[in-house]
Amino acid sequence: MRRVYLDHSATTPVDARVIEAMLPYLTDKFGNASSVHMFGQEARAAVDKARRQVAALIGSRANEIVFTSGGTEANSLAIRGICEAAEAHGKHVITSAIEHPSVRGVIDQLEKRGWDVTRLPVYEDGIVRVEDLREAIRDDTILISVMMANNEIGTVQPVKEIGEIVRGERDREHRHLWFHIDAVQAAGRLPIDVQSLNCDLLTLSAHKIYAPKGIGALFIRRGVRIIPQQIGGHQERERRAGTESVANVVAFGAAAELAQGEMDSRNAHTQRLRDRFEAEVKTRIGDLVLNGNPEHRLPHLSNISFRFIEGEGLLIHLDMQGVAVSTGSACSSGTLEPSPVVLALGRNDELARGSIQFSFGKDNTDEDIDYAVLALTKAVGSLRAISPLKFGVRSAESGVST
Amino acid sequence: MPYSEIFKDHLAHPRNAGELADADVVVEETNPVCGDRLRLSLRIREDWIEAARFLAYGCPPTLACGSAIAGMIEGMRIDEAMTLTKTQVAEGVGGLSSRKQHAASLAIETLNSALTKYASSHR
Repeated sequence: MRRVYLDHSATTPVDARVIEAMLPYLTDKFGNASSVHMFGQEARAAVDKARRQVAALIGSRANEIVFTSGGTEANSLAIRGICEAAEAHGKHVITSAIEHPSVRGVIDQLEKRGWDVTRLPVYEDGIVRVEDLREAIRDDTILISVMMANNEIGTVQPVKEIGEIVRGERDREHRHLWFHIDAVQAAGRLPIDVQSLNCDLLTLSAHKIYAPKGIGALFIRRGVRIIPQQIGGHQERERRAGTESVANVVAFGAAAELAQGEMDSRNAHTQRLRDRFEAEVKTRIGDLVLNGNPEHRLPHLSNISFRFIEGEGLLIHLDMQGVAVSTGSACSSGTLEPSPVVLALGRNDELARGSIQFSFGKDNTDEDIDYAVLALTKAVGSLRAISPLKFGVRSAESGVST
Repeated sequence: MPYSEIFKDHLAHPRNAGELADADVVVEETNPVCGDRLRLSLRIREDWIEAARFLAYGCPPTLACGSAIAGMIEGMRIDEAMTLTKTQVAEGVGGLSSRKQHAASLAIETLNSALTKYASSHR
């Protein structure tokens, strides 16, 4: 059976060039980067190089990059680290309604501990409004955390404008206000420059840009003080204790450099495949809704709600045909959990349950798209054939009483 | 718990899918918590379920259990069908994790509702 991977927002395969770069650090060059001897120094030099490569991807200084175990840890370190450090200056946090669970979860926990939280709505196009942000800022606001692009619908948020507002606030003596951006989905797909974004903290993850899982980074602007969440070692300039995962760090650095160099060609390729996929799906399958602003979204991602059917069934039907996709909805213990992101767009439960995310990668081909469109047409047809919702519509159209 | 081969087969090739044009009883039950729906139509001759069809909306276990129960009850005596349990339905799809048992419950509730409705209209 043909296998077609259309779930690059979940993770990406490791690029062969990245594997080649990291392999020596799993074999001959196995040293601990904190060791004084030559094995350690060899590893230290590799970590330093990777730090420069990652910094170059976002326009930061190398010493502003802290390697973590991934995006989730980086988000946690950013949010908890700032909130714990700045608690004396205020306990109000502003975020969006469609953050990744690793941001949402930490902020929900802060709320339970007595923090005030404002969650900016996103409207039907899946984008926050800077006017809402401006109104939400209070004297005791210490953190704004808004993602650069959403992982489920791909919408790109106005982070540059938010950064300008933050700078304006500082100019009017609101000094204890920090701005965090979760750029996990955006990195390697959108140009990022932390200087022009005016952000203090920015999260990255390696496995979304063709590097292994288990490695990420947090940009912490020079002079920004955070409380470390992992202690017991001097690594990462006292901001994140623990022996560096040297091979993974090297892989991240190599992947960052490739992502930067190939960003335009990768984007052109995935956007062409994505647009062709959407055009063919719209022609072949009716009763569907595209989610998220069609202009301001990541070039590799498409999120579609199919009426009358539910996402997990569609996912499994596609999986049985070898096509891998994601759904933001989940049903467990009889409790419905439609995608919170799609619900935040104002969609009803049926559309939120029927949403599927297709995310394309640099190695997908036109043949993959042809196959996926056929598989999807078949899967949607099969599920609609047994759907009482579709049956009700058919019966009403044909005048048959049910 | 990953879905079994028999479970996937029910999804790929649903048994007894559709609606009987000459049904003696049609019911549709909804899980009020998650919104899953199961619709059964039955043609009954004397004490036998001569034909059974299902339609389902919701998570994969609901679809698979709809397929399984419709296949199980076709050709079954009514009094026998009334003793079916959710465990038997779950076994019919190759087993369900505890988190997915609600799908088998919906199948049994829908069947019982159909048989009760039929009995009350044919006293």
